[in-house]
Amino acid sequence: MPALVTDSSSKKRKSGKNASGPSSKRRAVAEDNFAEKLSTIQELENQIAESRKGYNNIATLLSMLNVEQSAEKPEMAVAVSLCRVFSRLIAGGNLTESSRAAENEKIVVAWLKERCLDYQNALVAIMREADASSQIAALTLSMRIVKERLAHIPGAENNVWSTGFFKDIFAAIVEANNGQDMQTEAVAKFVKEYEDVRYYTFTQMADYASTKRSPEVLETLIKILQACDEVPGPEHKFENFYAKRDTKNKRLVSANSHRKQAQEAWLAILRNNLSQSQRKSLLRMMVHNIEPWFNRPELLMDFLTDSYNVGGATSLLALSGLFYLIQEKNLDYPQFYSKLYSLLDSELLHSKHRSRFFRLLNTFLSSTHLPSTLVASFIKRLARLALNAPPSAIVVIVPFMYNFFKAHPTTTFMMHRSIRDKGELAQVEKEGMDDPFDPNESDPNMTNAIESSIWEIETLQSHFHPNVAAIARIISEQFTKQAYSLEDFLDHTYAGMVTADLGVEERNLKKIPVVEYQIPKRIFTDRLLEEDGGVDSGPGCFMRDLWEF
Amino acid sequence: MPPSQLKQLKASLRENGVLGPQKSKKEKRQNAKTGVGAKNRNQREVALQAIRDRFNPFEIKTINKSSKFDVTTRDGNTTAGGGARPGVTKSLGEERRRATLLKEMNSRNKIGGLIDRRFGENDPTMTPEERAAERFARESQRKMRKESMFNLEDDDDEMQLTHMGQSLSFDGPNQDDFEAGDLDDAESDEEASRKRKRFPDGDETQDQDQDQEDFIDYGDEEQPGRKKTKAEVMKEVIAKSKFYKAERQQAKDDDEDLREALDKELPDLFEALRGIKPAAKETKPEAPKQDFSEMNPERAAMLEESQNSKDPEKEYDQRLRQMTFDQRSKPTDRTKTEEEKVEEEAERLKKLENDRLRRMRGEQLTDDEEDNMDQDEIPEDDESEIDDAMHFGLPTYPTETRPELGVEDEDDFIIDEDLVETDSNASLDMGDSDMEEEEGSSSDESDGPDGEDEHINGMTLPTEDSAAASTAVEVNKEANGKLAFTYPCPKDHESFLTITKNVPVEEIPTVIQRIRALHHPRLRPGNKDKLGRFAEVLVEHVSYMGNKTEQPPFAILENIIRHIHSLAKTHPLNVTIACRAQLREIGKERPLNLLPGDLILLTGLSTFFPTSDHFHTTATPAHLCLARYLGQCTTTSLADLASGTFAASLCLQYQKASKRYMPEFINYTLNALCNLAPTEPTVKFGAFPYRKSQESVQLVPSKKVTPRKLQFRDVTTSPSDPQAQEELKISLLTTLVSLLGSASDIWAEKSAFTEIFTPVRAVLQYLRQSLKGKVYAAAREPIQNTLDKIDSHLAQARLVRRPLFLHDHKPLAIKTAIPKFEENFNPDKHYDPDRERAESNRLKKEFKRERKGAMRELRKDASFVAREQLREKKERDSEYEKKYKRLVAEIQSQEGRAANEYERARGRR
Repeated sequence: MPALVTDSSSKKRKSGKNASGPSSKRRAVAEDNFAEKLSTIQELENQIAESRKGYNNIATLLSMLNVEQSAEKPEMAVAVSLCRVFSRLIAGGNLTESSRAAENEKIVVAWLKERCLDYQNALVAIMREADASSQIAALTLSMRIVKERLAHIPGAENNVWSTGFFKDIFAAIVEANNGQDMQTEAVAKFVKEYEDVRYYTFTQMADYASTKRSPEVLETLIKILQACDEVPGPEHKFENFYAKRDTKNKRLVSANSHRKQAQEAWLAILRNNLSQSQRKSLLRMMVHNIEPWFNRPELLMDFLTDSYNVGGATSLLALSGLFYLIQEKNLDYPQFYSKLYSLLDSELLHSKHRSRFFRLLNTFLSSTHLPSTLVASFIKRLARLALNAPPSAIVVIVPFMYNFFKAHPTTTFMMHRSIRDKGELAQVEKEGMDDPFDPNESDPNMTNAIESSIWEIETLQSHFHPNVAAIARIISEQFTKQAYSLEDFLDHTYAGMVTADLGVEERNLKKIPVVEYQIPKRIFTDRLLEEDGGVDSGPGCFMRDLWEF
Repeated sequence: MPPSQLKQLKASLRENGVLGPQKSKKEKRQNAKTGVGAKNRNQREVALQAIRDRFNPFEIKTINKSSKFDVTTRDGNTTAGGGARPGVTKSLGEERRRATLLKEMNSRNKIGGLIDRRFGENDPTMTPEERAAERFARESQRKMRKESMFNLEDDDDEMQLTHMGQSLSFDGPNQDDFEAGDLDDAESDEEASRKRKRFPDGDETQDQDQDQEDFIDYGDEEQPGRKKTKAEVMKEVIAKSKFYKAERQQAKDDDEDLREALDKELPDLFEALRGIKPAAKETKPEAPKQDFSEMNPERAAMLEESQNSKDPEKEYDQRLRQMTFDQRSKPTDRTKTEEEKVEEEAERLKKLENDRLRRMRGEQLTDDEEDNMDQDEIPEDDESEIDDAMHFGLPTYPTETRPELGVEDEDDFIIDEDLVETDSNASLDMGDSDMEEEEGSSSDESDGPDGEDEHINGMTLPTEDSAAASTAVEVNKEANGKLAFTYPCPKDHESFLTITKNVPVEEIPTVIQRIRALHHPRLRPGNKDKLGRFAEVLVEHVSYMGNKTEQPPFAILENIIRHIHSLAKTHPLNVTIACRAQLREIGKERPLNLLPGDLILLTGLSTFFPTSDHFHTTATPAHLCLARYLGQCTTTSLADLASGTFAASLCLQYQKASKRYMPEFINYTLNALCNLAPTEPTVKFGAFPYRKSQESVQLVPSKKVTPRKLQFRDVTTSPSDPQAQEELKISLLTTLVSLLGSASDIWAEKSAFTEIFTPVRAVLQYLRQSLKGKVYAAAREPIQNTLDKIDSHLAQARLVRRPLFLHDHKPLAIKTAIPKFEENFNPDKHYDPDRERAESNRLKKEFKRERKGAMRELRKDASFVAREQLREKKERDSEYEKKYKRLVAEIQSQEGRAANEYERARGRR
């Protein structure tokens, strides 16, 4: 394939220039000895290119690269020139041994291979240890070598991608010190750009994550995986390859196998020892980033059910994934509603996942086939929680209940119940009554909530904030509206309410505000107390009673 | 079967009285004489016409088909076309067209013409006689009106009608021709009347003339049965007018005299009104008064002038001017008795309380009501504070005020409008102008010694005179150190800080008071705005002072807050805006970390503004601010806990009156109690979210410490000494517990009391148990008390608990598909419930009708025009034809004649 070769060689030249770009820049500002060094490098490189006698210079250059001692501060110019040297050698076929070659020829090839290996190891070391720019440069150089090898050494595919150099590169990328820049570079330039790189990244990742790793490493892996958010559809054409592709290898062009690899990678990560926060963040991205990659989403089931059973915020987050499985994959989750009911705890309304949860809860309870007892339990539980909820949560709960009352008319007894039975009525009149609702019952079908009333919401009609009180009042007015759109109520906050009341800046007040008509005699002190006979009963006496100013 | 046509005709003729019994001749004659006959004739004509119409079936349009059902339509009357008489309408239209269109047609392409403007010319109801009479009447009226410029009333012959150069007037030497002979001897009236009596019928024409004259004459003085001659009448008229004129002149003169006399008395009256003794009057010479009353006033005035050598008019003018500037003395209100005052005050308070309650329930006060309230609020405040103000007086009286200031009572800042009102306006004016005059000197004197470069905006102390002021200032300086008298009104907080830089904290109220006195709104028009800004500055200053490291004494803060409050009454907007700005700053910068200054401001705010209102522009955000703090703040230290406790107690104070529920309060207090508990609770007590304090604030129970009353400085500083810490903890605990007790009192009526307070009880029980026997009874006591209280409230709540009965309203009607039938449907009425649509339909219909009508008219006009043109053309043609025929006949006859002649001639030949 001459065309391919020329193409790659031209690319090589270009990228070689690119690689030397920074070094030339550096040269411009460097001192004389640096320039000298560069010129020697250049000379050595030229000698290598001129004749085989110059091959020994490779060893010199490698020693100049000097990775063993100081991988933190590598001579990138040397690395670049070595890359050029090896690219040229690989392209020239000098690294392939033919069976017919002479013995000494074989020795040369073996020696060159060894040097090449040395160089590769040096690059990996640089990627692991050096500073950010060198890391990125080393990454680029390594990928060039990968490309050259794949292009010119037949049968190197397996060798390079799965077991050889790329594996080291991947490990280096993941484990690099301060490698954030390099990681983003790798993701942006290679993994997202080229289908084959991505494929093998997935493979490597699945392999890599099969053993327990530290949370930081996992974090990196998750980040890389998360970045690959374009799931190839079945119709996807795989054309964007980094290196020459073995045409016999069908796996690289099938969406299925791509997804399979991604799935393996994700599963490997999910099975690893995740920290709580990682678990949460994974759950958060579950629906959008993870599930699309899965050919068999049911494999996520274990993870999701485990997470759901953790309780608290993790459970809340697991809900959406679980719901996806229930909905799409017909997952049978016994006791789903009792579990859901148990999620309504004191922290729920104060958590930041509140709106997310309410959206889901709305979906779960939107079925009209749910038993009214169950719905009533949810209503009553929410009402209880509302008594200790911030205004922004009350504002959600009440329209939410309204919608339930509308959808399940039997539950409206919770708002309006007249006792028909004479004896019972007399008893209630005489003794009052207890709340029939059992808050400790965990089964939402057994709580007896439907026999109860939502006194809590009625109390909230006298909430201190007028808007909240007005919303709470909807349950005692005619139910003329079909349903409230929950979305309008979900994302309120204290800050938002303060801004709503105060505005960003002063606007003209429509009405002259009312001022208290009496100037109190005392605010902080016991002034003029004798006048009132020593008994402090004016406004604000409450504070003065408790506090000493 | 109806009777025959003939019989019907006869019957109807008889009915209308056309046919009747024959009248006797005498009757006929009498009828003719009285004119009844003519009237009868008219009536008969009308009746006959009606009968004719009735019996002419072709005149009336009838529906040819009787309707099968009784229907109602929108097309007006049910008998469509019934009774219409197309012939009549057609001829009417035709006539109208002839009157208008035809005229226009004929006058087309013609310019000019005459318009007859003679009176009554086109009025067909007038007979020619009436017309003439009316014209004559108008003519003479015009003459009588005397419009011409130089007309003197008695001139009668300014213009005369002449005929052939001779006058046509009635009273001139040339009398009417017909009477000339009669009047030769110049008979007296009586004779003439007698004469006329003798010949009642002879002087028909004269009689008529006389009638006409009567028409213009004054009927009131006409003696019945006696006729006057024209000359007499005119003479009488003239004499009368002359008499009237003289009389008018007389009346005018009388009036003048009277006025003159009054004018003279006026100065005395003024003096009497102003309460000045009429001493001046005595000095006036009495002599010239002798006989002026009889004299012509002008002459009298002239005389007086010469005598007094004074210009009375000038004096008069002066006095008049004085009078216009004088205030009218008004009757003063009756002084109210003590009981009345008390009653009024009680009434006012009751009204204000009612308003507050209504606002609490969120009912809207109507605007006018509110205005009213505002209006009577301000003056009544004056009333209530008037004694205060009088008590402490103006800061202008230096001897009184300075030394006592800030020592005796802080109320002296109430220097409201009354200060100015106690003095009369006149004197205020005087003082003001004086002050303006002395401005330069006095200000120099007052700040010169101080050495402060103060910018005084043309305003100094309203002192009585500069000398007194300067001495006062000196006295004051000695008494108060370096306190100046005059301060500029600060526009922002920085300038206020520079003003008060060198002022000790204790004197700040004095400074504020002086600024307020100096810039009292009454003193200068711009002062109201300035004070408004000053109020804003003060609000900022309260928060600033609260945040200072060494806290000022609360007496000072209280005083400033009270100052703000009294400023808020006059400048509610400014104070509101300032408070809202502070709240906004809190919300933006430190929502979860309230500073002590913020707490003080929030406390102060609860005194300016009614916190019980359903919605209040400032109180509601303040609530929200507190709630947000309580709901979201994290506890890291004891100081945090203390400020949280302060905020919680503030919440309860806010809700003291309106008793609204505040979830954050319960959450916070229970959380704080759990944190303070000696051991961390292992079970959850309720639905409040438990947040552990970042730094342990757990109480170490010991018998050494006793709870004390919390102090405000606990908010700012945490004690380092462990003993003091424990003391603070136990005090916080007891305070929180008693707060819960108060909360249970406030919210005892709530329907969910049980749900709210069951967790509270659990927490308190837990506390009681964990503190049992480990602390002093003084610490355990409040817990036990609160528990007892809550228990009793809970029992009560259980007793009054009933199932909710919220939807007891009238059930909504089910939507029905039955059409709505209207009883007594009236097709003329529109029943469209949509008003706009009904209106537009109506207009559309009207438009359509009008359009149709207009088109019909136009069409008829066109056909009329065509008909007329055709008629004209035919006329022209027939004329032409006639002419042609005539000519032809003429020629033929000539021809015939010629032929005959020819024949004859030929025959002759």
